[in-house]
Amino acid sequence: MIVQRRYDPKRVMVFIILSIIVVSFIYPLYFMLINSFKTRTEYYINPFSLPKEGLQINNYITMISQFRLLNLFKNTLIISLGTVILLLIIGILSSYVFAKIPLKGKMIIFLAALMTMFVPSQVTIIPLYVGFSKVGLVNTYFSVILAYLALFLPEAILLMTANFKSIPDELLEAAEIDGCNYFQKIWYVVIPMGRNAIFLAIIFYFIMSWNDLFTPMILLTKMEKRTVMVALAALMGRYSGSPTFQFAGLLLSAIPALIVYFIFQKRIIQGMSFGAIK
Amino acid sequence: MVSSRYGTKVKWAAMISLLPLVIILILIRFYPISIAIWKSFTNWDGLYQSDWVGLSNYIEFIKNGPFLKILRNTVILLLNVPLQVFFGLLIALLLYERVLGWRFFRAVIYTPQIISAVIIGYLFKIFFGFRGPVNIILRGIGLDSMAIEWFGNPYTALMVIVISITWYGIGWQAIVMLGGMSTVDPSILEAALLDGANYWQRAFRVMFPMILRVIEFGVIASGVWTLTQLFPFIHVMTRGGPGYETTTLDYMIYIKSFGFSFGINYGMACAIAVILLFFIISITSFEMMISRRIEVKGLK
Repeated sequence: MIVQRRYDPKRVMVFIILSIIVVSFIYPLYFMLINSFKTRTEYYINPFSLPKEGLQINNYITMISQFRLLNLFKNTLIISLGTVILLLIIGILSSYVFAKIPLKGKMIIFLAALMTMFVPSQVTIIPLYVGFSKVGLVNTYFSVILAYLALFLPEAILLMTANFKSIPDELLEAAEIDGCNYFQKIWYVVIPMGRNAIFLAIIFYFIMSWNDLFTPMILLTKMEKRTVMVALAALMGRYSGSPTFQFAGLLLSAIPALIVYFIFQKRIIQGMSFGAIK
Repeated sequence: MVSSRYGTKVKWAAMISLLPLVIILILIRFYPISIAIWKSFTNWDGLYQSDWVGLSNYIEFIKNGPFLKILRNTVILLLNVPLQVFFGLLIALLLYERVLGWRFFRAVIYTPQIISAVIIGYLFKIFFGFRGPVNIILRGIGLDSMAIEWFGNPYTALMVIVISITWYGIGWQAIVMLGGMSTVDPSILEAALLDGANYWQRAFRVMFPMILRVIEFGVIASGVWTLTQLFPFIHVMTRGGPGYETTTLDYMIYIKSFGFSFGINYGMACAIAVILLFFIISITSFEMMISRRIEVKGLK
C-alpha cells in the first residue's frame, strides 16, 4: 500500500486489473456508439463489429427530427438552470446564516431541513400534485423547479454551511470595516471564499435535474413541456424492434451531462470524496 | 464574532435570508408529508371523496395486497448493497496504489453516476434482451440453455436489475471509500509494514478498521438509495411486472396513484408512502445509533 519501487510486479498487476475494470465500464458506452451508426440488419448480423457499411447517421437524424429533441433539450435546460440558480440564491443566503450569524432558533430550521433529506419525492408527490393543480402550477416548469428545490436544498445547505464555516471571521470583519453591508459581505467575501462548494453544487444539481425522471413525469403531462428523460422513457419502448435507433437516442440524451462531467470531473470527484467524510 | 455588535439590522437581514428556505420546507415538504400521513387513513380520490376509513388501507395492502411480494423483491434488490460495497472497497484499494493513470481510471469508474438511470435501464434492457448481446455471447460459448428471456421470470429480471444498479453504484462507493482511505495517516501503514504485515493484513487489519465509519456510511446510504431511488430503473426495465413480481414500495406508490388507469387509489398510495417513510426513518435512526456507538468506542 505504500509507494516502494516504481516498477515492482505488484503495481503492474494493479494496473492490469484496473485496466480490465475500466474496460468493463467503457464497453457498454462504446457498444452503444458503434451500433448507433449501423442499420438494423447490420446490428443483428454482428453487434460486436465496427460499422462496415459506412456510418449511418440516419438514426441520429430521425431521432432529432421525430423526437423534437432540441425542444426537449430546451425544456430540460430551463428546468435545470432555473433549479440551479434559485438553489444557489436560497442556499447561499441561508448557509451564510447557519455558518456565521448568531440567530436564535436557526438550529431548529437547520435540523428541520436535514430531517427531510431522506424523504423521497414519491412520498410527497400526490399531495404536491393535487396542491399544484389547485393553484394552476401543473404543467409549468416552475412546479418542477419548486419540487427540486425542496429536494436538493437540505443537502446543498449541508455542503455549503460546512464550507462557509471555514471562512475566517477576520475577513468578514475587515469587509465590514471597509463599509460592506450584510449582502455585500456575502457577494465580496463569502461567495469567492466558498467557491469550491458553490461550484460543486452547480455541477452536481445541474446533472441531477437533467437526469431525473419521476418528478417531471408526474408534474408535466403536456407533450410540449416534457423533459428529455420523460420523453425518452415514454418513447423508447415503441422502438424496441430497432435497437440501433434506441442507441442513438440514449447517447444523445446522455451527452449534455457527460460533457459537463468530463470538463469538471476533477472538481466533482474531489468534492465527492471530501463531502462524504463528514 | 461578538454577537452584541450585531444590531437589529443584521437580525432582520438574516431572517429574510432564511425566509425562502422556510417557506419551501413548509409548503413543499412538511405540508405534503402531513397530508400524505392524514390521507392514508381515508379513501381519498384526489378530488372530493375523502372519508375516514381508519387503518383499512394498511390492512388491505398488507393482508390482501402484494406486500409480501414487494418485501421479497426489496430483499433481493438489497443484494446490490454488499456487492457495491465489496467492489467499491476493492477498487478503492487498487486506486489507493496511485499507479500510472489512476486519475483516469477513477474518472471512468465514476462515469455511470453521471448517466441518467433511464439510459442505464434501457442499456441493460437491450443488453439482456432475448436477441441482445448477452444471449449472443452465451450461445456463442455453447451455453444455449442459459440464453433465456431474462425479463420473463421474476428472479432473473430482479437479478438483471441488481446487476445494473450495482454497475451504477460501484463508482460512487469507490470514490467515497478512497476519500476515507486518503484520510488515514500513511505512517500507520508504514508501521504495519515494518511489523511484517503483508498486503492483505494491512488492508483488513489496518485500513478497513480505520475507515469503518465510511464503510458504514456507504452501506446505509446505498440501502436507503435502494429503497427510494429505483423508480427509473424499474419503470424502464420491467414496469414492476409481470404482475407485481418486480415491484418495490416506491414503484407501488406510482402504480396506485398515477401509474395505470385502473386501480387508482390515492388513500392507499398514501398508506404505502407512510410505510416507506417508516422504513427509511428506521434505517436512518439505526444508522445514527451505530455511529454514536462507534464514536463512544473510539473514545475509549
